[in-house]
This record gives sequence, structure tokens and C-alpha cells, in this order.
Amino acid sequence: MHPVERLVNLVGLLLEAKRPLTFEEIQGTLEGAYDQEDPETAKRMFERDKNVLRDNGIPVEMAPTDAWEVEEGYIIRKEKYYLPEIAFTPEEISALYVAAHTPGEDTWAEEGLRKLLYGADGGVLAGLSGGPLAAGPDVPSDRLAAVADAVTALRRLTFAYRTARGEVSERHLDPYGLVWRGGHWYVVGLDLDHGEIRSFRCSRIESDPIDAGEGSTPPEGFHAADHVQTGPWGPGEPETTAKVAFSPEVAWWAANGISGAKVGETGADGWVEITLPASAPEWLASWVLGFGPDAEALEPPELREEVVARLEEILRAV
Amino acid sequence: MPSDEATDAEAPRRKPAKAAERLRRMLVVVPYLVRHPGVPLAEVSRLFDVAEEDLTEDLDLLLVSGLPPYSPGDLIGVDIEDGCVWIEFADHFSRPLRLSRNEARDLYLRAKALSATPGLEESAALDSALAKLADSLGPEAIGELAERVEAAETGRPAATLDSVRRAIAERERIEIAYHAVSTAETTVRRVDPEEVFHAIGNWYVVAWDHLSGEERLFRADRIREVAATGERFEPRGLAGAGRPLYTPTPEDVTVTLRLGPGARWVAEYYPTQRVEETGDGSLEVELRASRLEWVARLLLRVGTEAQVIGPDLLKDRVKALAGPTRERYQVTSPVIAPPA
Repeated sequence: MHPVERLVNLVGLLLEAKRPLTFEEIQGTLEGAYDQEDPETAKRMFERDKNVLRDNGIPVEMAPTDAWEVEEGYIIRKEKYYLPEIAFTPEEISALYVAAHTPGEDTWAEEGLRKLLYGADGGVLAGLSGGPLAAGPDVPSDRLAAVADAVTALRRLTFAYRTARGEVSERHLDPYGLVWRGGHWYVVGLDLDHGEIRSFRCSRIESDPIDAGEGSTPPEGFHAADHVQTGPWGPGEPETTAKVAFSPEVAWWAANGISGAKVGETGADGWVEITLPASAPEWLASWVLGFGPDAEALEPPELREEVVARLEEILRAV
Repeated sequence: MPSDEATDAEAPRRKPAKAAERLRRMLVVVPYLVRHPGVPLAEVSRLFDVAEEDLTEDLDLLLVSGLPPYSPGDLIGVDIEDGCVWIEFADHFSRPLRLSRNEARDLYLRAKALSATPGLEESAALDSALAKLADSLGPEAIGELAERVEAAETGRPAATLDSVRRAIAERERIEIAYHAVSTAETTVRRVDPEEVFHAIGNWYVVAWDHLSGEERLFRADRIREVAATGERFEPRGLAGAGRPLYTPTPEDVTVTLRLGPGARWVAEYYPTQRVEETGDGSLEVELRASRLEWVARLLLRVGTEAQVIGPDLLKDRVKALAGPTRERYQVTSPVIAPPA
């Protein structure tokens, strides 16, 4: 019997079974499937098939065959097998379609989406077109999946991590949350090597994470996103504001790009003053300098001084 | 028995055997066939991204499957006529299998990330779809994930993105005012936009550029204005998401930089030709650049944490950029004393 035929028949049999079936009953019903001469071989084959089903999300359960609980058998509960009807709007289904599309990689997301799309009634497919809207994440999907599973189950993880400075070391983490920011996934949790909550960029995890047992529970009111920040103003919520003048060439872009930017006066030369959220001057100085002669830091004085100091360092160095 | 208790113990890293893959496929395809009698094979092949031969093979296997006692009336009936498929006696497969934990998790993560993308008109629909998904599939599928995943993009929304996407859908040629960082200049050009995609915090537009007569990638946030031309175009099949953000050309210049610890991020953010550890926490990297302007601006940003090894022309560009920038501060701020 072809392995796929055997598997399909096994699913059908267990799904339609009125009560859990013992291996012997399955063997007797599914002719040609598990009737190898050596009973050990037949049983092993069944075990393998059962694992294939479970690995593929088919909920094969083991339960007593009757109220006397003398024997155990196998069954697939319909309510656990069938996809429930989910009333998606056409907008929702096409948004999911767009999200599941990953360029260059087959993911579980696409298989999952097919179930949602094609299991639904009617022609929700009409009008779906267009390519994927986002590049895939910069972390292998298996690795991200392992981290996400650990976050879900609060399992402690051990992995090799490369810092932004390039140092690689083994780290131990109780993961509490996943955060998506600026095109990267971060895992946030209790860093056991430093005894504090830290964030780790998933793309800098250099080994497959190893499950190191039960982890700890996030503290009350824990908010993972608080521990990951990447704005032009650097890490941390912006505390103060800064005033920067931009040339007419780039002012529109600076004003559009940053939430909280307030457009002020336009000078006679067309330069526009924009007030921006800011925190540490060294971060903002770097951002302002990226505009070259198209931007000038006006306030606060520390920001202005930082920009000038850097320019002088650069001019001395080249 | 304890090891047998788990009903959803999936092994995400186990490579699925070919039989398992076919089984998974059939458990999604068959319900579709049951619900859509007489559907053309070609359509099924397109929807499920499976070759027609493979589908036919699957269906042949299905013919010998069924339910006990496996008499002819219990076996699944498959009828293919003029390229269309009918299935009978497969009511037990009339609904697809639930999403597995792997599928639900991956779909959830991708949708969550996309919904946070600034300026995406689908965001609201995605969020409500995710809420329904988490609700209907229950804790076994999504688990605590919904509570523990947060997405917040700090990238810039592109004001012109919607009009570009509309032009793509309508195949409309547009005229854009584009500010290129590589030259620090704004140009007006006619383009045929084919795809948009979001990558590392920015939206990109893939288009045929009539100004250069080449395929070009535009950062959407740097498109200042979009104007209709009233003309239409035939798509050339330009590749969208997943393509490299930078395509090298033979005219490119190789730039060699030494990046101190505070500038190492440059090697992660920009495509490099060569990266070498120097042993003192620095990196020596080679990048290819079609224009030195953007590299000079990058160096202004990074400051002395980065050092130019070559070419010398780049040092001149940095000087030419830093000089006038420094001058602005002298002219308008007498508070800061000029260097001694």
C-alpha cells in the first residue's frame, strides 16, 4: 500500500471512529496497511505513521476505548480536527494573503493561509493579486519559530549571540516577549548572565536556540516594547525636543518622516525650522549630520556643540 | 502513556517526508474539491501552487482510499473530465484540517509584522483578521503568543504610497518628483511602477524609469509628488519583494572602510563585498557604490568611528561635505568659537 494512501485511510478511519480504536482493531480494519509478518515491524510502522500525522498537526489522541478503561485506543476528535468557520471579510482575507506571501521561502504561513482561504465558502479569491508586500524577516524562519515557541511556553533558552560590537558569547535567557521594530524581530526577556531585562535581535542569534528547561514568568505589567527602541533619537522614549533647520530640498522629507515633528517657520532662504522629539544629543547629532549641509542643528546648545565637535573631528581625520 | 498524551506535538525542525507533504496537501485540496464540484484542474493547480501531474497523482491515490468496510460505495470517487474534477464519498474531508501550531504561529508573526508597517492601508483589516484567528483557533494554536508579541514600526510612512499602489494596480504611468540620497538632488521622472514592498523599515517601489531607460528601485518616502500622465503601460515583470536592495553595476567603485565598534552596524545594514575582523573590535569592509555621495553622507553620520581606507576620492568628498556643513554653524552661530 502506498504510504500516502495508508495515511489518508488512517486519518479517515480515526476521524469517523465512534470510539478510540486499538492498534489491533486498526490493523484488522485497514487491510494491507499494517499486516507485515513480523508484528514488531507492523507496530513500528503504525507508530511512525501516527507520528507523521501528529507532526503535521493532525490531532491523534490516545484514550480508553470504553468506560472500563481497560484498553487504550486512538481517535481523531472531529471538533479538534476540522477548521472552525471563521467569518473573514474579503478585506481581511486579502490582507492575510498579502501577509503570508514570503518571497523566496516556503513557510508554514502559506500552508496555513490556504486552509483559511480555500476552506471558506464562496469565492473569496476574486480580486486577489499583486506580489508580496514585504521582504522576509532577516532571521531564518525555523530560528524565529523556536524563539516564538519559547516565548509562548516561557521556556528558558541558551544560544550563541553576537552583539552589535561583534562579540559572540553563549547567552541564557528567559524569554518574555517578541517585538517587531524597524524590520527586525527582537526577543526580550530576563538575561540570566546580567540579571536584568534585555532585548536581543533575533538575526544576531548565531546558533539554534536550545531549550534549557522551564523559564520564569514576566513581572507584573511587563511590556516588551519598552525594552526595544530604535528611533532617530536613539534608545528610550524621547524626553525633550530639538530644533533643526532643513534646506528646502529635504525639509518636506524630514517633516513627513518623524512622528511628533512640528514644522515651524520658513526662512527667507527657504530653510524650514522643524521641532523634533529628542533624547541623547549624540544620537540626534549623528542623524542631523547624515543630511550634510542640508541640515543645521539649532537647539538645544548641547546638540549644536556635539554636531560642531564631530564635524571638526571628521575634518581633522580626513 | 505520558509521551502519548500530546495531541499537537509538532516538530518544527523535522524535515517533512514526501509522503507527509502530500498528505498535508491532500487534506487541504480535497475539501476544496468537495466544495467546488467540477472545478478545473488548472485552477486548483494555480491556487495550491502544485503541478497538475502531482495533483492527478494525488487524486489517483485518493481513488483507493475511503472508509470501512471499503466496499465500492465507501471508496472516494474521483472523476476527471475535460480537465475538471468531481469528488464523491469524501464528506469526511469536506472541511480542511485546522491550522497547525506551526502554521498559525508563522501566519500570526508575519501578519503582525506587516500590520505594523507604516502607511499600509491593509493594517486595520490585518489586525481584525488576527483577532478573529486568535479567537477561533483558541489557545492550542496561537497560545499566549497574541499577548506576548508586539509590533511597532518607527519607520517613516510614505505619503505617496497609496497613489503609487493605485498606479500599479491600474498600470498607470506616473511622473514622480524624487529626492535621491545618492546625489542629494530632486529629479522629475516618468516611471512605470510594478511592485511595492517594505524592507528594513522602508517602502520601496520597483519601476521602469524612463529618465535612465533602466529598471530602478525608489524609496517610497523620498517620492515627494506623484502626478498622473494619463498613459498606461504593459508590465515588464520586474521583480519585487525579496530582490536585493542594491544591484551592482560594472561602473561601481569599491570603497574600503575600517569600522570601529560604534560603526559596525554599517556592515549589517549595507551589502558588503568583504568583511574582515581586524582583531581589535573593528571591521575592515569593502562596499560597492555607484556614487560616492551617499557613502560620504554615511561617513558624516558615523563620524570618526569609521575611517576611509580608499579610495582617496572619497576622503575628498567627505571633506567637501563636512566643510560647508561646518561653515553654516560659523555663519549663523557666533556663540561657538571657531577652532583655534
